[in-house]
Amino acid sequence: MATSIEAAVESLREIKSKEPPMWLVPKQELSQAVRAASKHLFSSLKPHSPKSPFDQLLIEGFDAEQIWQQIDLQSQPLLYTLRREVKKFEKNPEEISKLKEAIEGGKKKKVVEEKGTDDIDDDDDDDDDLDMDDDDDYDDDEEEEEKKERGREEESEREGEEMELEGEEKGGIEDKFLKIKELQEYLEEDEAKEYGLKKNKKTKTETKKKEEDTEEEEEGEDEEEEEEEDDDNDEAEEEEDELGLFDGDDEDDEDSLENARYEDFFGTKKNKGPKEKAKSRDRFEGDSGSDDEQDFDKRKDGLSTHEEELKKLQSKIEQMEKANLDPKVWTMRGEVTAAQRQKNSALEVDLDFEHNVRPAPVITEEVTASLEDLIKTRISEGLFDDVQKSRSLSSKAPRETKELDDNKSKKGLAEVYEEEFVQKTDPAAAPLSFSDELKKEASMLFKKLCLKLDALSHFHFTPKPVVEDMSIQTNVPALAMEEIAPMAVSDAAMLAPEEVFAGKGDIKEEAELTRSERKRRRANKKRKFKAEAAKRLAKKPRETTQVDSNEGKENE
Amino acid sequence: MLRRNIRLRREYLYRKSLEGKERLLYEKKRKIREALEEGKPIPTELRNEEATLRQEIDLEDDYTAIPKSHIDDEYANATERDPKILLTTSRDPSAPLVQFVKELKFVFPNAERMNRGNQVISEIIESCRAHDFTDVILVHEHRGVPDGLIISHLPFGPTAYFGLLNVVTRHDIKDKKAIGKMPEAYPHLIHDNFGTKLGERTANILKHLFPVPKPDTKRIVTFANQSDYISFRHHIYEKHGGPKSVELKEIGPRFELRLYQIKLGTMDQSEAQIEWVIRPYMNTTKKRNFIGVDQKDDKRKH
Repeated sequence: MATSIEAAVESLREIKSKEPPMWLVPKQELSQAVRAASKHLFSSLKPHSPKSPFDQLLIEGFDAEQIWQQIDLQSQPLLYTLRREVKKFEKNPEEISKLKEAIEGGKKKKVVEEKGTDDIDDDDDDDDDLDMDDDDDYDDDEEEEEKKERGREEESEREGEEMELEGEEKGGIEDKFLKIKELQEYLEEDEAKEYGLKKNKKTKTETKKKEEDTEEEEEGEDEEEEEEEDDDNDEAEEEEDELGLFDGDDEDDEDSLENARYEDFFGTKKNKGPKEKAKSRDRFEGDSGSDDEQDFDKRKDGLSTHEEELKKLQSKIEQMEKANLDPKVWTMRGEVTAAQRQKNSALEVDLDFEHNVRPAPVITEEVTASLEDLIKTRISEGLFDDVQKSRSLSSKAPRETKELDDNKSKKGLAEVYEEEFVQKTDPAAAPLSFSDELKKEASMLFKKLCLKLDALSHFHFTPKPVVEDMSIQTNVPALAMEEIAPMAVSDAAMLAPEEVFAGKGDIKEEAELTRSERKRRRANKKRKFKAEAAKRLAKKPRETTQVDSNEGKENE
Repeated sequence: MLRRNIRLRREYLYRKSLEGKERLLYEKKRKIREALEEGKPIPTELRNEEATLRQEIDLEDDYTAIPKSHIDDEYANATERDPKILLTTSRDPSAPLVQFVKELKFVFPNAERMNRGNQVISEIIESCRAHDFTDVILVHEHRGVPDGLIISHLPFGPTAYFGLLNVVTRHDIKDKKAIGKMPEAYPHLIHDNFGTKLGERTANILKHLFPVPKPDTKRIVTFANQSDYISFRHHIYEKHGGPKSVELKEIGPRFELRLYQIKLGTMDQSEAQIEWVIRPYMNTTKKRNFIGVDQKDDKRKH
């Protein structure tokens, strides 16, 4: 092996010595030299990388790509281990010294390391398998690589510690999977998350970083469903990693454990420093062991659960009281006009109220079509609702049109004046005017007609109406014969004595009457009067012939 | 002129006051007439007055038979003359409103359009009475869209207030050739579904805006009522293939009218009695139909 190393070194030197421009042009001998060198290097690295499937680099007959692949296969896991180791040494510089000792001392450590690496490799195998599977996703690969590497790193760290503390017996409970210390730390971490522990700044930043990592790790873990063991282990490792920082604190506070007070357990003061709390918490780390989840619960900010709940309730109550005292929101205030609420506040609220009005009709095609159908039917039937011209009653009487007569007036002018004068003085006596005459004639005709009709239709006889006519009736005989008499004889003389006076008996004047006759006359008169009065009252048809007798007596 | 108006108004009020008695008389006469026709004995409460009432019944003709109310009285003389309408707008009309009013001028025959300027309503009404107009129509708008129509019958007549919806004017339809010209013959009218008393009244108001048409006009104006929304449509029809085939062509604006008030005076009489006003806050308004009867097979229901 040494010779190969030397040979490799030499070939490298040789390659290095070549001028850079030489590399630009592919040359056979250069490539051969390079291949040989890489083969040597490969074989030299072989013992350090137990996983490589090749014992030596196969050069003959393989092209550059395939050679690269082989190298890659070997170097990848090697790189992981190297990185891990470096980080480990970063953290614990003591290890280096130990390593030195080991190397100097002998191969014991190496063996242990190898053992450790073997153990690690067992786990690594699994991880690497998974890693191979995820070759496609390069990003995931990276994450997983980091995680795996850290996981392995932590694992090795822990295992390293364990190797240190080889003498201690942990007890039958603990095995590869269940570590009591891990459990404790996990619980504390969880607690911290739940109760919002304030950590130191330094720890904070680191924990933040760790949290990010853990998140990544957790993401990666979610993807892996095959290896639950690994999950558990990894989680435990995270927590351990996070809380591993407290290991320092742990050692510091061990002394004050004996001086514990009530306040440390159940802090009365609400604003206890986070460090103190952390200390108080950590003090119990050793004591509590595996069975004090409840204790962890009690300790947070020095208040108990009950007090926390009370505090929450109190704050709620305060809030509600405050809300009640404040003036109500306008939506809760009953009838609110625009002036009583904020501008545009009604736009934000989803108002819902009933509309009591039918919404306006939307004029669709159907509607128009139905209307047109209606119109068409009406047209074809001819049924229209037009305005009807109504015959109006003539409210005015027809004017009296005066007819102009062309004929010569039959009345003389003197007669005309006479009529006018009479009309002015005595309108009743005036002879009727033309129009009146027509009316009179019409009314006369009508009356005659009515009389005849009444006579035909009524049971009671209605005699002719008396027409009072003023006319001078001369007492002339009905038959007026011409009498041949001398001119000197007057009309009075022409009358016969009966015509002059129609009466009988002895006529006496009042002066000539005797007393008894006067009395007789008076008595007759009285009787007559009484009879008439009685007749008027009774209204009976005349039966008696008293009149005749009276008449007869009157003549006397 | 003033005195004549006062006298007319007094007559009108007097006749309005007599209405109650006339209605009573009418009822009695009606009962007697029914009894006579059916051969039943006359109701006992009317026996005393029966003779005089019988006489009156015999003497009456169909004009006097119906009791006239002051409401009908407004349109009593309307049929004797052609209506004369004045169209105007609210103040400061926008251009679309002016166009709409121009269109309406062609819809109503014998109508005149007038610019509003800054005239007061009472002035307008006075001058219309003086010039023997029968109706005044006022159109209101909202941002260019016509949204209100007030029809006032003139001597003392009723004023009907409408809201306009879904207005489509002729100017909206840009294509001049498609619309064509508007004929100015007196149109036939169609009223559909004005069943109730209020509906009859509204139909009356709308009817008397138009004159008596010739029987053979091709122009049709339709007022169709559906759940208290009156649709106005304006068509020309042609009968190409015989009497039964009818082709309609729509011209003129189309809109929906919604009646919200009828007042028993003219527009300037703000204290006039309200005959009917819409009451949307009533619990049952949604179910009721005020103007017409509800159609069962309603295609317009939403």
